[in-house]
Amino acid sequence: MELRKTTVYQAVEAVLEGEVTAHQVIGKTIKNCSVLNEGLNIFTSIAGIDALEQAEAIDRKIQNGEKPPLAGIPVAVKDDLCYGVLPTSLGSAAFNEFMSPVTATVVERLMDAGAVVIGKTNLDDMGQGSTTLSSPTGPTVNPWQAERAAGSAGAAAVATGICMLAVESDSGGALRQGASHCGVVGLRPTTGRISRYGLNAHCSSFARVGVTAFSSENISGILDLVSGFDERDAATAVCRGGISEIIKNPGSEDMTIGYPVTAFDHLEPDLREIFEQVRDQLGSRGYRTKEIDLGLLREGLQAYYVLALAEASSNHARFDGIRFGKGRETDSLEEMYRQSRSEILGKEARRRSIFGTFLLSKGNYDRYYRQALKIWKLVRQHFEAAFNECDLLMLPVAKNLPRPLKEESSYLDQWSDDLFCAPVSLSGMPSLCVPAGQIDQFPIGMQLVGPPFSEKTLLAVGSTSGPRDMGEGPLSQ
Amino acid sequence: MKYEVVIGLEVHVELLTECKLFCSCPNRFASEPNVNTCPVCLGFPGAMPQMSREALQQALTASVALNCEVALYSYFDRKNYFYPDMPKGYQISQYYIPLGSKGFLEIEDNHGSLKKVGIGRVHMEEDAGKLVHEAGGGTAGRSSMVDYNRAGVPLIEIVTEPDLRSSEEARRYLEKLKSIMQYAGVSDCKMEEGSLRCDANVSLRMPGDQAFGVKTELKNMNSFRAVEKSLDHEIKRQAEILDSGEKVATQTLRWNEDKQETIVMRGKLEADGYRCFADSELAPIELTAEEVEQALQKLPEMAEERAQRFVEEYGLPEYDAGVLTASRCMADYFESCLNLYNKPKEVSNWVMGAFSAHLKNAGLEADQAFFSPEDMAELLKMIDEQVISGKIAKKVLDKVFESGKKPRQVVEEEGLLQISDQSELEAIVDQVIAENPDTVESYRGGKSKALGHMVGQVMKATRGKANPQLVNELLVKKIDG
Ligand SMILES: [Zn+2]
Repeated sequence: MELRKTTVYQAVEAVLEGEVTAHQVIGKTIKNCSVLNEGLNIFTSIAGIDALEQAEAIDRKIQNGEKPPLAGIPVAVKDDLCYGVLPTSLGSAAFNEFMSPVTATVVERLMDAGAVVIGKTNLDDMGQGSTTLSSPTGPTVNPWQAERAAGSAGAAAVATGICMLAVESDSGGALRQGASHCGVVGLRPTTGRISRYGLNAHCSSFARVGVTAFSSENISGILDLVSGFDERDAATAVCRGGISEIIKNPGSEDMTIGYPVTAFDHLEPDLREIFEQVRDQLGSRGYRTKEIDLGLLREGLQAYYVLALAEASSNHARFDGIRFGKGRETDSLEEMYRQSRSEILGKEARRRSIFGTFLLSKGNYDRYYRQALKIWKLVRQHFEAAFNECDLLMLPVAKNLPRPLKEESSYLDQWSDDLFCAPVSLSGMPSLCVPAGQIDQFPIGMQLVGPPFSEKTLLAVGSTSGPRDMGEGPLSQ
Repeated sequence: MKYEVVIGLEVHVELLTECKLFCSCPNRFASEPNVNTCPVCLGFPGAMPQMSREALQQALTASVALNCEVALYSYFDRKNYFYPDMPKGYQISQYYIPLGSKGFLEIEDNHGSLKKVGIGRVHMEEDAGKLVHEAGGGTAGRSSMVDYNRAGVPLIEIVTEPDLRSSEEARRYLEKLKSIMQYAGVSDCKMEEGSLRCDANVSLRMPGDQAFGVKTELKNMNSFRAVEKSLDHEIKRQAEILDSGEKVATQTLRWNEDKQETIVMRGKLEADGYRCFADSELAPIELTAEEVEQALQKLPEMAEERAQRFVEEYGLPEYDAGVLTASRCMADYFESCLNLYNKPKEVSNWVMGAFSAHLKNAGLEADQAFFSPEDMAELLKMIDEQVISGKIAKKVLDKVFESGKKPRQVVEEEGLLQISDQSELEAIVDQVIAENPDTVESYRGGKSKALGHMVGQVMKATRGKANPQLVNELLVKKIDG
């Protein structure tokens, strides 16, 4: 069974029908994973005997007549999501052996459904970034082109066929950029849809837990299993009485897809051409497409960074060296903080903490933070207004091709890569990244953004749009 | 003094909830460090806070009990600063919108008339842990340990307007606040145990001035008396500075109880130095007007109402009612006794008298004494049944407080059973008559006091165990023949 060419549904059927055992699937996956990880640096830790034991337990359940809905499905979990069985590094060198007492709700729900965690995936410094370039263990290599970064390691785990699903965080766009750069499908859900309990968020206002898979169908198949109210994440209260989905029939004429023209003006012509083609394809499939206005992308990006840096300075204040990190004896408390925090936070995380502290300090709160809050509100209103004009809208994901591994780039350049993703984060609306085309060997993704709880519509449209087969896939060369 | 004193108080009160504010750890004292902790209150990555509805309910009750306007929409902010007892590096508090505002409570002012003290805000926040500094040994003073049992315990902060005009008013305000919080059932307000903490701001100005003088902040007072004393101390210090033509400096001072003086603390952050911003992990706090109204309706009886009821329902003198309702646990104790032994005035005498004296001696509150309402009822019944005399009963109470034993056990073990056996007493009475011929004579001569003297002799001979009424009867019968 080749995972990349199988749907989750087919894979589960095969296990439930006894064509293959969960133990066999997981055993093969772990072997595969160790081999591929050598060159790609996807995983910070890989499950061993624990995963095999879990698989055996699932096989026993099946023998007893149970039908776990995700029986034997191998899953990758980004390493800012706590999972009590493997170390949770959070993207910090000091946490490489940290065993969290917490297991994230999303991981618990997947495991309850019979999925097996194969490993924890690489991430930027304290989870802050959309490239993996600032990871303390080095970047994850893009499976399509070994000279460039993957964007997100979970996307690489799916693109290479190691795992069928990856659960990942997305604040400013890490999950979506990864999906775009690796040619897979990634969903950033509506605020409150998927519990964030167990996620070490650097920015709680915008951090969401999403899912990456090889196809929209695979995400559709598991979305309900991971969605819904969780008393441990206050934001999920919107799902307390069930989720009121916005479901529209894809391909029908009453579905209008908005095309924010000015957004695409930020792109180089060859990239823009891909999106114009997709727009035309959608039109020929029966969708109505409509040019709409969507301003404030640049302002939204700036506001996102003001808010995200401010929150990071607070969210990461807990890493003070008292409960985590190496114990150390120093002459003063301040010296202990200095040494511990230098050890726990890398260069990017320190930069963000310092910026954030500055942005919230006396005088600057009004000058920057309060202004950013206003822009946040305006961006939300802009998106809401856009959905008066259309049912869904399409946006680019990345402004550029994935970052080269060897080329130094300034942090401001890297931050501005989130131009199309960060404003969507501010809107709180769901975004599905699907493959839109290819430039040379590089996959290019696009975002389909919809109003709150329109995920099922996005996934339905996503499954019919864009090139469905990306050829033989990565690593075929 | 020629200056007008201006005082404002900031009081932190621990709520009496089952659980901590943002996790399900018990809100309970534990002698072993770090047992009442979990990933949430230890600030572990990934663990998210959930607000306790119970704490919100109590904070709401406190707000309405203090006549506050309640915000139907408020939220939690983060107050960011590093300190080892703060597990997350920030305290979750309400900075921008407090739950309650514009409230007041009434106290007697310096001239004995009622005065409203404005309450600027009542807001919810979490408590920090405690630092334990290593004492003794070669490394004394070099290492400290952190106990997070208290981290995340729900607090409300109650801030007055600068309405208090003397240290005495400040003390009266605290007493009144304590009574309201206790009667509302939201806190036990035991300052010695830290469930009520008070900081004071004080400044002086010339009477009639509109502007306030430069204020200093006083911290670390651990009793109402210490608040009063430290304020007196600080008022005197400021007056001397002003008298000499100097200016008072903005400072935070720490009260040293042993030396009865203040010490300047290291500069503290200004409120806007805490980089406060909204906490986005918690949902906003939304209340309906009905919920606020309900909290107001459900507000338990306060001290004055209860005293009034004691007078009307139990026929107690106003004085008794006032003393018994001074603290809620005393009033509760009294009524519990009454449920078991329905003679209000008798119970009142005993509760206000011997029982209160013992509590005061031991530094206990009524609910902490091991002399339960059941014990009190038992004791009073023994007097009624003439098992012991009232005088012996006081001794029994002493013994109970000393030993922790039950009243009946004390009576039996100490041989304090009252002697009501006539033949036994007759022998003693005869002896007393025989030994005191002069007294017998003066009694016969019409001096009724003399009889009392002889009763005393009998009581002495029986070490107080004789039934005084019976002794009286026997003496009269024998002498008058
Ligand atoms: Zn806890």
